[in-house]
Amino acid sequence: MGIGAGAARLVARRSFRGWRKALSGYLFIAPFMFFFLLFVVGPIFFSLYMSVHRWELLGRSRPFIGLGNYQEMLTDDLWWLSLRNTVYFAVFTAACNTVVSLLAALAVLRPIRGQTFYRVIFYAPVVLSVAVMGIICQWLLNTQFGFINYVLGLVGIGRVNWLGTPGTVIPVLGLATVWWGFGFPMLVFIAGLQNIPAHLYEAARIDGAGNLPIFFRITLPLLQPTILFVVATQLIAHFQVFGQSYIMTGGGPGRASQTAIMYLYQTAWRFYRMGYGSTLAIGLAVVIIIFTLIQFRFFGERIEY
Amino acid sequence: MMSSKLSEQSITRREALRLGVALVGVSLLAGCAPAKPPAEPAEVPVVAEPPTVPTPIVAEAGKGATELIYWNGLTGSDGVTMVEMVERFAEENQDVSARVEMMAWDVYYDKLLTSLVSGYPPDLFLLHVSSIPQFADKGVLKPSDPLFDVNGGPLPLKDFADPVFSETLYEGTRYGVVIDNHGWGFWINTDLVSAGGFDPAKRPESAAEFIQMAQVLTIDKNGKNATESGFDPGNVEQWGTCISWMRVTFLTTLFQFGGNTVDLARNRALFDQEPARQAMQFWHDMVYKHQGAPTPSGFDSWQTMAAGKLAMIPEGSWMRNFLLEHPQINWKVWKMPPFGPQPATWMSAHVLYMPSTIDGARLDAATKLSVYLSDHGLDWAESGQVPARYSQQEQLDPEKYPSTVVFAEAFREMGKFEPPHVALIELQSAYEPELDAMWNDVKPIPDGLRDANARVQAILDRAAT
Repeated sequence: MGIGAGAARLVARRSFRGWRKALSGYLFIAPFMFFFLLFVVGPIFFSLYMSVHRWELLGRSRPFIGLGNYQEMLTDDLWWLSLRNTVYFAVFTAACNTVVSLLAALAVLRPIRGQTFYRVIFYAPVVLSVAVMGIICQWLLNTQFGFINYVLGLVGIGRVNWLGTPGTVIPVLGLATVWWGFGFPMLVFIAGLQNIPAHLYEAARIDGAGNLPIFFRITLPLLQPTILFVVATQLIAHFQVFGQSYIMTGGGPGRASQTAIMYLYQTAWRFYRMGYGSTLAIGLAVVIIIFTLIQFRFFGERIEY
Repeated sequence: MMSSKLSEQSITRREALRLGVALVGVSLLAGCAPAKPPAEPAEVPVVAEPPTVPTPIVAEAGKGATELIYWNGLTGSDGVTMVEMVERFAEENQDVSARVEMMAWDVYYDKLLTSLVSGYPPDLFLLHVSSIPQFADKGVLKPSDPLFDVNGGPLPLKDFADPVFSETLYEGTRYGVVIDNHGWGFWINTDLVSAGGFDPAKRPESAAEFIQMAQVLTIDKNGKNATESGFDPGNVEQWGTCISWMRVTFLTTLFQFGGNTVDLARNRALFDQEPARQAMQFWHDMVYKHQGAPTPSGFDSWQTMAAGKLAMIPEGSWMRNFLLEHPQINWKVWKMPPFGPQPATWMSAHVLYMPSTIDGARLDAATKLSVYLSDHGLDWAESGQVPARYSQQEQLDPEKYPSTVVFAEAFREMGKFEPPHVALIELQSAYEPELDAMWNDVKPIPDGLRDANARVQAILDRAAT
């Protein structure tokens, strides 16, 4: 009994010591967790709750409608159209952004004169707000007064209605986004490239390898974790595209550039249909999760760490 | 080694207890703290309230004890006029101070809605007359009946110009104070019209005449106009006219062909009717058949007008101040030309509303400001809008307000509204992209009208349940 009580005391003391050790960790993350629960987890659960109600802002009643909003979403052609536009934009922009930022990173890592200047210049558009970027691009692409059409005119090409043609509007929005945002993935790639051991390149050069084989057999394979990170974060970010099309095209021509978040915003904040808006948000989240899982499934396995 | 380091970094039991007591103490103190500092803390420094989220334009007027918050979407030169009026009001009413917050209409709607939901709306806010059903239906607007003389109030009911004023009555109750009438008219560059061989004083009397004018005034880089052979539509230097704001140009044309967007009972969409097709076809032909107007997408009508490259533009009464900023353009305003058999032009109005929750001194101050702004409608004419009261419209100086005088007459003669509806914004958002698709030739007119009709009908059906 005495031994048993002693053992229990020992266990309790150890347990308290362990708790005490952990407490400092919990206290460090407590501020973050507080705001995370309040502003991220809480709204997620509240969105789920709203999505099963006919929840209208200023509505006198908010009846429970079960999966009614989800049924509406599945048969809502505007939702599918917005989602299709979003997937097109996200995949196109993420692909272009990855390629452009990787090429830029390779370029600015070379020992060239003005290396820092180029890094700053390439990164500079990132600091613009989406509204500023949108207005700049709108002016550049303007059919009558735009600089791009002016230059095309000098070489005998007629004016192109870049933002008013269904076939060009999303690629153009994507390219504008690449110009605006490739600076950040470029930095990530620079960090990734600097982590590749220099002796591998030296060995390859001694073996007589040229630039292209070195790039494809050393740089790219060893850069795969960075590429996965860039592609995954780019896709997630571009799935939530809003500002570019909202400012530059208003979703037009017709609905050719209406995106999922635009539709969600309209539904919730223009039409006051918060319940259905929450359903669309959950639908979009599911799509993003699926795309992210696919990327990890196909790219994650081949990563050489 | 690592473990001992961690152990050194972890806090002791005493420290944990102290931290816990401190946290509880801080929480209790925070909970016991007064919600606001005392109103008049003699010689005690007052803790400032946290600053509100900055808005694009905020103006403070006066230093009176009763603080009014007044929101509107007047971010152009009309906002400057409004602020000047509020400043004059504050000078004359020393007991009131006002903070005027102006933001872009879309941001404004979001912010207003959030404030109404949260229970902290502004004391006074400006919206369009078409918003009444949407907000009144939710019970967030204060009825304005007591403000009118028939109920003992200061505002002369019979002086408010129709047809706008009638629209402020919703289910037997009046909401808001109308401060202006605004709407659609035709602005012309008199130099370009004269150079084309037309008299700027003479408005086209038929659709055919208007089309011919637009064609003659559309000139390519070789100097040929749209009626001449060899005209190059890919290199136009000067346009005869344009579509401008699609929804409003469509509505005006639709009204002229005798149509509407929904029926009077708000049960049925009318985009499948002949007037809708005629209205769409009229401007589609103007762009693609007669070549008197550019494809709307990507065309900046205001800048083209300012550049002296656009002869005639359907645009709102608010364009006055923009053109005054471009003195190189000599301009004139016409009442809307006849595109269809019935004279009509789209119109709307700015209305001042108070939230249903307002009371006490703030209600009195907001009422005073509403009445002041209504009584000084002539000052508001500086914004380019038409004063809301007949007596003020009659006093407009034609030399100073040539466009406003024309608009005032046009609205009285042919002004028409889009039918109000509790889901008006959703209805507009349903059919506007279809107009965009049809006039930009992305979708054939029958398909676009069919889709517009189906979408609008679905909203009407849902709103009816």
